[in-house]
Amino acid sequence: MTLADYLPIALMFVLGVGFASVAMYFSWRIAPKKPTPEKLAPYECGIVPLQEPAQRFPVKFYMVAMLFVIFDVEIIFLFAWAVRFDQFGWAGIAAVGIFVALLIETLVYVWKRGALDWNVARRARYRRVVAPERVQEEAA
Amino acid sequence: MQDIAFLPIGPEIVLLGAALAVLMVAVTLDLGHRMWAAISFTALALAILLSWAQWIRVDDVGPQLNYGGEGVRTASMVVMDHFSALAGIVVFVVAALALLGAWPLVESLERRGAEFVALALLSIAGLHTMAAANNLILLFIGLETASISLYVIAGIVREQPNSDEAAMKYFLLGSFASAIFLYGVALVFAGTGATSIYGGGVEDFVNGNLLNLLVNGREGVLMAGIALLVVGLGFKVSAAPFHQWAPDVYQGAAGGAVGLMAAGAKVAGFAAIARVLAGAFPLAVDIWAPSVAAVAALSVVLGTALAIAQSDLKRMLAYSGVAHAGFMLTALVGAKAGVPAMWFYLSTYAFQLLGAFTIAAAVSGPRTGASALDEYRGLAARSPVLAATMGVMMLSLAGLPFTAGFVGKVGVFAAAVEAGFLWLAVVGLVTAVAGLFFYIRVIVLMYFQQPVLAEGPGTATAAPEPSDHQRIVLGVAVAVSIGFGLVPWPLLNLVQHALPL
Repeated sequence: MTLADYLPIALMFVLGVGFASVAMYFSWRIAPKKPTPEKLAPYECGIVPLQEPAQRFPVKFYMVAMLFVIFDVEIIFLFAWAVRFDQFGWAGIAAVGIFVALLIETLVYVWKRGALDWNVARRARYRRVVAPERVQEEAA
Repeated sequence: MQDIAFLPIGPEIVLLGAALAVLMVAVTLDLGHRMWAAISFTALALAILLSWAQWIRVDDVGPQLNYGGEGVRTASMVVMDHFSALAGIVVFVVAALALLGAWPLVESLERRGAEFVALALLSIAGLHTMAAANNLILLFIGLETASISLYVIAGIVREQPNSDEAAMKYFLLGSFASAIFLYGVALVFAGTGATSIYGGGVEDFVNGNLLNLLVNGREGVLMAGIALLVVGLGFKVSAAPFHQWAPDVYQGAAGGAVGLMAAGAKVAGFAAIARVLAGAFPLAVDIWAPSVAAVAALSVVLGTALAIAQSDLKRMLAYSGVAHAGFMLTALVGAKAGVPAMWFYLSTYAFQLLGAFTIAAAVSGPRTGASALDEYRGLAARSPVLAATMGVMMLSLAGLPFTAGFVGKVGVFAAAVEAGFLWLAVVGLVTAVAGLFFYIRVIVLMYFQQPVLAEGPGTATAAPEPSDHQRIVLGVAVAVSIGFGLVPWPLLNLVQHALPL
């Protein structure tokens, strides 16, 4: 391998940088610029809503899906250990134990913070209507 | 199991345990922020002591590579030497002060404050891992542990759109930089067949076979790998031209959180750069030194020029941080010989940066992002102590004599000249003088200008008072800036020993 063998990479690099900079230059040059306070505000997604959406929609599904992925990945790591667990011995059990303990702690935390609570609003209403004395107890 | 030496990874274990404990006491025992403070500061104190113990242990038995027994091949992931021990002490002291300065923010976050504290502790553990890693893969894991926690911390005040913007920008650009770093690791592996830094790793190969590399032509792969490593780490320390995220993130993130993000990440980032360049590739210095010198020159010039144009203190500090990154890279062109100069500069600069951001949090509030320079007009009349502290920080950042910044700059330029980069030292000197302009401007604003008429907190007529936590941070920052400016020898002697293995 000599330096000449890297020529394709160098060409690719030049092409990549060239394409990006040409595209950016022309969009910067051609685009009309009429800044308004809205346009200068941090951009999240879509236009800034003028009013609240007509319906509130729950985010709990996303929350549960996200947590599911975390605990799903845990299983993959456990598989690697499980097929050879007799060879890893006590050190392996200790390592996996620490790993699982970390995830259990995560589970306890999200549970206690109410991320797994599917019906927060209804439960709050239930408490207010059916068991007001408990709400007062908790407030006190 | 019995072969594992726990001293080298002790600080990480303690900090991880503390992070878990803070989360648990917050949700199960319902204990408030006093308990979080007790746990986290005990852990940080313990981590500092453990780093000190590491230093003493290295004095006794020399640097430790393997913490596994004979024939344990996977165990040499962590290196314990004076370099990693000093990195630990500096990172933990700076981070403890940053967390202390962030405490008003923690209190204002209420229940979510526990998450802030836990994330801060996790990121601190990651920062130290970067400095102590003996394997580029572990270095990457430390980098990610620290970065991901810091992304969340940048956006911890969710109600502020600017804070969201900061977190998003930091996350997207940071992930991109991490990917570049990882690609660099892959190319280094392709070029050398190893990812560990010492002990049969990258260094051995380069030591023994740099000539072979040149002959059989894999040098190109290795060069590309080193270049990508420098790009990835250069992003984390906001060296030009990888600095664009810094001003937006520093300005957008909550005032109380920036100190940790800026100072902590800078210390660990430079520890990692020094470890990779001077530790892993000292014999390839002729290959990487010119490009590092170019990055350093660009950083000092661009950082200084753009800092002059800013009207927000935090943006100005971000751009001045780009320039300071350039000064520290200036020392590193000398490879190992430049590391002591880098350490002195780094360990004093971190305190000045922390002090300046703490003042910004005191003046503009711990939750707000922006800190317009107009808010500092006439500060001397309203809050004399804050103004005086800010003055000391600015003078030391500018590098005037009798401050730690001056000693640091002298060492850095001397290291560059010794390494044969006279032009780089000249560029640094000229920009250091130009940089005086915007540091002195803050002092002029505070002492010689009338406040702009406006009412309410966070405006130029309010008289901001630092909280007790912030007073401690500012006290230490002033003590470091002036103390090591007048009597630099203890620290200078210390850093002489803190070379990477």
